[in-house]
Amino acid sequence: MARYMFLYRESPEQLQHQPSPEEMQQVMQLWTNWMQQGAQAGWLIDGGDALKPESRSVDASLEVSDTATIEAKEVVGGYSLIEAASLEEAIEIAKGSPMPHSGGSVEVRLVGH
Amino acid sequence: MSDRKSETDSDLEFDSQPAELVENFFRHESARMVATLTRTFGVHRMQLIEDCIQTALVEAMRSWRHGVPKNPAGWVHRVAKNRVLDALRRDATHQKALAFAHLDQQSTDRMVDESFEESQIEDSLLRMIFVCCHPLLDPGSQVAITLKTLCGFSIDEIASGLLLPSETVKKRVQRARKKLAEADISTDLPRDDELHSRVSAVHNVLYLMFNEGYSASGGESVVRDDICEEATRLCYLLCHSPFARPDSKALLALHVFHAARLGGRMDDSGSSVLLEDQDRSLWDQRLIAIAKHWLQLSRTNTPSRFHFEAAIAQEHCVAESFDATDWTVIVRCYDRLIDLYDSPVYRLNRAIAIAHNGQPQQALEQLLSLKSGGQLESYQLLDCVLGRINEMCGNIDVAIQHYESFLASSIAPHQRRLVEARLASFDRR
Amino acid sequence: MSRFMFLQHGDCQGQTKSTPEQQAEGMKAWQAWMEDGKKEGWLLDPGSPLGSEAAIVRPDLSVTDGPLVEAKEVVGGYTIVEAENIDAACELAKRTMKLAGSGRIEVREFACFGEEE
Repeated sequence: MARYMFLYRESPEQLQHQPSPEEMQQVMQLWTNWMQQGAQAGWLIDGGDALKPESRSVDASLEVSDTATIEAKEVVGGYSLIEAASLEEAIEIAKGSPMPHSGGSVEVRLVGH
Repeated sequence: MSDRKSETDSDLEFDSQPAELVENFFRHESARMVATLTRTFGVHRMQLIEDCIQTALVEAMRSWRHGVPKNPAGWVHRVAKNRVLDALRRDATHQKALAFAHLDQQSTDRMVDESFEESQIEDSLLRMIFVCCHPLLDPGSQVAITLKTLCGFSIDEIASGLLLPSETVKKRVQRARKKLAEADISTDLPRDDELHSRVSAVHNVLYLMFNEGYSASGGESVVRDDICEEATRLCYLLCHSPFARPDSKALLALHVFHAARLGGRMDDSGSSVLLEDQDRSLWDQRLIAIAKHWLQLSRTNTPSRFHFEAAIAQEHCVAESFDATDWTVIVRCYDRLIDLYDSPVYRLNRAIAIAHNGQPQQALEQLLSLKSGGQLESYQLLDCVLGRINEMCGNIDVAIQHYESFLASSIAPHQRRLVEARLASFDRR
Repeated sequence: MSRFMFLQHGDCQGQTKSTPEQQAEGMKAWQAWMEDGKKEGWLLDPGSPLGSEAAIVRPDLSVTDGPLVEAKEVVGGYTIVEAENIDAACELAKRTMKLAGSGRIEVREFACFGEEE
């Protein structure tokens, strides 16, 4: 088994969308169900956390800047750690996450080399 | 990596099974926070407060994907408080007011925390009901802003629940908010001299809300059942306050009697079921008992229209079957209602009761005179009712004509299915 | 105190340094960084590089996998630190950057744990 990190990438449209409280409730339910499913099946190692939207970047010349000035594309909104036998299996798990269904992407990365 | 896991476990605040949010958490917390923060910072800041709350709820939603905290309400209150305080820090007028009152940011902070205490929240909600139902606003705006700020519905949800264009609802809410802010309506509870009219205004809004939700409920939008539920919830809050009057309790009883019958109003295919065909075992006996209890509590020497409406609903709820319904009592209740508050809809319903009470011909005459008086022009179901009563009089051909003209108008799909089935049954005869 | 995540973009691990001496030196510097971080209390998790085995699942459920072409959007590793605020966290990122030498470190605050916001 190998560990994979899921980085949830949210598109600017997704971040601008103002859901109604009812919609928020539905989205939350999807995530709770998915995480519970992961805990039961054993592939969820750590639900992880969300990252606040504010983002700074430190480059090689040690300059600090607002990340938005570098790339205005998707931002990483949070992460989770999962366990899977292969990249293919990890991808299948990622497909089942609520992220793609709400317009975001999941970057699946092997932890370690 | 291995010690990282144990580190995060304690902080994540969820056990092996992630916690779940209670139903309608976001909607209800939104309402509670608007009420609380508006009471603290004033009605003129309602827009700012609602914006900050929206931001806080979105933050909560994004964070809680990874696990719901043990005290989600506390979490979101804290974030909303900070958002509002941040916004006010940038507001010069507010800073001046603070200085004037010899308050600093910390004391404001404490004030908000205290206002979030459970007992205070209920009180704030009650104050907010009076603000949203303020006589400064017309009934349409009262209903719209109540649904928006006190029930946490979005503009689109309200529009679909009330069968109105979103743009109309949006304008009503904006106009209401602006009016309230400009008049800087106080969140103080009504004074004795205005108490009667203010409580009556609240009754009207809750009655309208419930009726709007109920008459359209069971259709394509689930929101409508939620609107009924919210009207009942707010009415319950009022009935538990020192402002409750006998008619408040009768109104609550009426809501709950109707709610008890929600289960039987639709069949599996999603079409309406007539009262006479409903499976009464689907009615919620627990709710019926609760409603009876409130109707008992509402006794008074000067019954209101809510008392008579609730009494009619009770007759239906306690009848063993449609045929066992005591129509004489129901007709009498409608008589009293019309004495008290004459309306074409009450007259129409009385005619239906008279028809079922064995006098369909008399009912038909009353209906036709109502129709020729032009009082029921906007009443969509009129053709449907005329069809049914003509059927009872044995005028099948006339009945069919009415059903067909009903189908030709723009009606909800669940009503269409019902009438189509009715027409099909004639073909078989 | 708040928690922050460093997301390393591009080549931050100094793996391009070729000679064994340079590699050993680099290793030593990272070791010192880790020890200092633990001693000073700001390094909560040195984290890990993220391997080249990678994929992106898009909203339409299409998958880009294998070594990702748009290397720019790929995160090469992560670290979790604790700091007073984002400015202090950026100072720590500078310390880390001195060792990495190339690429970019993105500094992000955790959402759930920020008790005092």
